[in-house]
Amino acid sequence: MPQAVAIQPALNVRRPGWRGWGLFAPMVAWLALFVVAPTAILLVYSFFTGEGIGEVDTHFTLENYRRIFKPVYLDLFWRSIVYAGATTILCAMIGYPVAWYIGRAPASRRGKLLMLVMIPFMTSFLIRTYAWFTILHEHGLLNGFLESAHLIPTVFSHPLNILYTPTAVMIALVYTYLPFMILPIYTSVEKLDPSLIEAAADLGAGPTRSFFRVILPLTWPGAAAGILMVFVPAIAMFAVTKIMSGGHIRLIGDEIQEQFEGGGDLPFGSALGMALLILFLVTYWISAGRSAKVLRGT
Amino acid sequence: MAHPLPSGNSLARLFLPAWTIAVLVFLYLPIILLVVYSFNNVPNNMDLSAHWHGFTLRWYRAMWADRLLMQSVRNTLIIASAVTVVSIVLGTGAAWLMHRFVFPAAGGLQTLILLPMIIPEIIMGVSLMLLFRAIGLNRGYLTVIIAHVTFCFPFVMAAVQARLAGIDPSLEEAALDLGATPIRAFFSVIVPYLMPAIVAGGLLTFTLSIDEFMVTYFTYDARSMTLPILIYSEARTGLKLTLNAVSTLFIAGTVILVLAMELLRSRR
Amino acid sequence: MKLFHIVLIVTMVLSLAGCNRSSQKQQQRLHLFAWSEYVPQEVIDGFTKQTGIPVDYEVYDSNEKMLTKLLSSPAHYDLIQPSEYMVEHLIKRGLLEPIDQSAIPNVSNLLPEYRNPEYDPGMKYSVPYMAGTVGIVFNSDKIKDPIRGYQDVFQPKYAGRIIALDDNREIVSWALDAKGIDINDVTPANLTKVKPLLADWLKLVKIFNSDDPKPQLFSGDVDLGVVYCGDAAKLIEQDKKFKYVLPAEGAHRFIDNLCIPKDAPDKQAAEAFINYILRPEVSKIISDKFPYTNPNGAARKLLTPQQLANPASYPPESVHLEIFHDIGKANADISQLMTELRNGR
Repeated sequence: MPQAVAIQPALNVRRPGWRGWGLFAPMVAWLALFVVAPTAILLVYSFFTGEGIGEVDTHFTLENYRRIFKPVYLDLFWRSIVYAGATTILCAMIGYPVAWYIGRAPASRRGKLLMLVMIPFMTSFLIRTYAWFTILHEHGLLNGFLESAHLIPTVFSHPLNILYTPTAVMIALVYTYLPFMILPIYTSVEKLDPSLIEAAADLGAGPTRSFFRVILPLTWPGAAAGILMVFVPAIAMFAVTKIMSGGHIRLIGDEIQEQFEGGGDLPFGSALGMALLILFLVTYWISAGRSAKVLRGT
Repeated sequence: MAHPLPSGNSLARLFLPAWTIAVLVFLYLPIILLVVYSFNNVPNNMDLSAHWHGFTLRWYRAMWADRLLMQSVRNTLIIASAVTVVSIVLGTGAAWLMHRFVFPAAGGLQTLILLPMIIPEIIMGVSLMLLFRAIGLNRGYLTVIIAHVTFCFPFVMAAVQARLAGIDPSLEEAALDLGATPIRAFFSVIVPYLMPAIVAGGLLTFTLSIDEFMVTYFTYDARSMTLPILIYSEARTGLKLTLNAVSTLFIAGTVILVLAMELLRSRR
Repeated sequence: MKLFHIVLIVTMVLSLAGCNRSSQKQQQRLHLFAWSEYVPQEVIDGFTKQTGIPVDYEVYDSNEKMLTKLLSSPAHYDLIQPSEYMVEHLIKRGLLEPIDQSAIPNVSNLLPEYRNPEYDPGMKYSVPYMAGTVGIVFNSDKIKDPIRGYQDVFQPKYAGRIIALDDNREIVSWALDAKGIDINDVTPANLTKVKPLLADWLKLVKIFNSDDPKPQLFSGDVDLGVVYCGDAAKLIEQDKKFKYVLPAEGAHRFIDNLCIPKDAPDKQAAEAFINYILRPEVSKIISDKFPYTNPNGAARKLLTPQQLANPASYPPESVHLEIFHDIGKANADISQLMTELRNGR
């Protein structure tokens, strides 16, 4: 979480002399070349004109941005926000109790529990996505299980068709991003002073009240970081949506990929990228601002 | 020592572990299936159904024989190693310099460094692709490594900064007083102190690089193809249980590494 | 911190090993950029064994993706595999290197009808690799009603049972055919005409897949669809319950070619590869693995009667087949139309 690390002034800090700047130089050069320059090029490209596949005309135009405001692409952005938002909410609801449980576990057990959460994510997320095929397939394990439990002709009239539907996409997205929610919340929970909760209880607050009035505000910085770390990558994801939906559901990431690959309209793709970047900065600003406000309030 | 939960929470006491176990099942089920099916003797690679056709090791044998697959595994390890080394140097250096010096733009620089950690990967991917295209750098190992380092070294920096925040300033002063040059003081006193953070950052970098897909997608070429890219293009064309076999080995490697670290820690 | 040292040493050894390898091999390499599921690994290995030239094989799943990537990596690829309309487009933009036919004596193995294609008269820039059709495949155990054309496939009763190529231009051309419009007449007016039909059709499709629709059809995820003939032929080889039909409204034929892009680093290697795959016994391997229509007459003689009788690979001559032409900027209109229509609900 980028905003988390504060620069602590040590005793021997000083202004860099020419030698100090010399040491800074490689790092600054790296940033200029591989962070600032590419973003600048993306911005410049977004004002060019796409001329057929892969060809770029360097005439200045605002047409690409005008095109983004067509209903087709507004829809696309909206759909991406909905999917990423739903993923974030589900991850928070599923992950919060887990983070709480691990954070409140005896200190000796926390590391092990955390490791247990992390291990599955050491394998490629793509291979894990494909692993869901085995389960959700029409002739997969889920339907096999339901059939052998005699639930299929009774409760469900026919085998469940989950693969290649929005449900499958949601399962895969939540699965991919869950640990990104659990970890930051855990760090907040771990720091929580248990006497505060006790105090709330002593003052007669019920569990619900003490959760919403005491616990949630105190762990909000972690939750905000988690929201950022799930929402941002989820909104720009490609591949998972395509694989799990059988090519049905396209989000903004898929469209950008398409423009940079198949559609070949690089300037329009760049404009979509810039729009996504702005969306990202707004999300970042909101969630970072929120967590700071909560911190100040306590 | 367990902290007592708020009173009247016997429900929570049952609910929380049960919920955690359920979530762990959710997290592990696909992984376990992945491992189990790497031993499945499926006769036809068009068969996507979950039938069990008997135990076999042939996917592991086929895996060794698959030149493309082995090349991508080697690429993945080479790239991740190079990225880790460069990121450690850049990240540790950056953290130390930011700690050591104050200057007006420090905050801005800090944000700029950390931005690639959270910026949507696809934006990094396409913008780097445009950059490489503009400066005429052909796709290959170098472009992939550059792209990975750009979003990995901030992780090392953040880890090292967290440790630097707790450093005792007299540590370096003591080293300097003993007559060491600042550079020697840095390597003989500061680096050992920072080592746990450097290792943590390095390991994180390594795992991030191994699993990176989206940025790599826009910067690789045929020779520098990594495992995630191969998985993406191969798994779309039917069942490839050799991919399960490779992944199983990766999981086993991770588990062994984790256990080894745990063992190392408990010994100390 | 012993662990750290171990990690560091392993890292350095690995990265050094990698560097050495790349610096040593400044020799010839062939950079092949071709369709996925189209060039058998045996053929690539055979070529390397024969000539000593290692091959870097990179894949794509649409002509447009190939072009975009070709343009973003200038002077990188030695050999590409565009379809006929893309060859036309590449010639028009001056992106191809002329092919020296004297370096490719095996061209004489090609059947006469493939040696003077309309998109590249005299084969100056291209050599046919494989040809084929886009048609309908269906599982006759599940589909009992007659299937003759696109209109029979895209019916509400088959909703969620259909697979289609994930290629915007292809899909649009089916609708154009169904409306009786020339598939190369892609104008905004014609796109508006087919839009409602496409909207209805796309709702019925369960899976879009250009790489390989075989597993989903074979495993019964879907029962029918519009696919490349090579995939259909492979399914028919596996199980006779699969049938292949060329759509009555008008079917589309494609010819994929090997071409050398402008400024290819190693033209000789590229020509050697073209010559190699035109050998009858090599071309036969390709047909065995990917049963498209083989333009190589000498290779066809080596195929089994069953292979030649496969209706997907070698359809009856009677059906009228059209080919795609370069449509230039209309690609962007197609892209936008399809983005609009392919909104998952």
